[in-house]
Amino acid sequence: MENNFIPLQIDFNKNKALVKRYAVKWTPTIIILDSDGEEHHRFVGYLPPEDFIGQILLGKGKAEFDLDHFEQAMQCFQEILVRFPLAEAAPEAQYYLGVSKYKASHDPKELKSGLEILQRDYPNSEWTKKAQVYSLIP
Amino acid sequence: MGKQIKWETSLTAARAKAKKVKKLILMDYYNNL
Repeated sequence: MENNFIPLQIDFNKNKALVKRYAVKWTPTIIILDSDGEEHHRFVGYLPPEDFIGQILLGKGKAEFDLDHFEQAMQCFQEILVRFPLAEAAPEAQYYLGVSKYKASHDPKELKSGLEILQRDYPNSEWTKKAQVYSLIP
Repeated sequence: MGKQIKWETSLTAARAKAKKVKKLILMDYYNNL
């Protein structure tokens, strides 16, 4: 974990200012921040290892995406899909992989290809619904 | 045995370190019930 992140632990009962600043209501809450303190992803509750690592990778990918580091973002999303294809984070990773490929290439076909993979691998996911509009791309 | 994690306890210190080594921050809120 320390290869990718600076780990920071906050005692919920002793850091009221930080609890308020990030609107934390329950523990454990994990938030991925950049060095400016901007939030990019969060999740709440105890997760089994594959889902925990999946969420951490998803947070790293979303932070890289938000920072316009699309190649690094794609690596994170692809790692989730290869190592943890059944994790809760996987459909969202597939969605953002398609969007990252589009942002990097400006080719809208990447969005449609992403949707086709979502429909094939995660047909019941909310992320497949969110990508449905890309079916209109010729 | 896994490697022991060295947790920061201050956001200010974590941000300075993250800026220096160009990393993200993983912030974990915990509660000792």
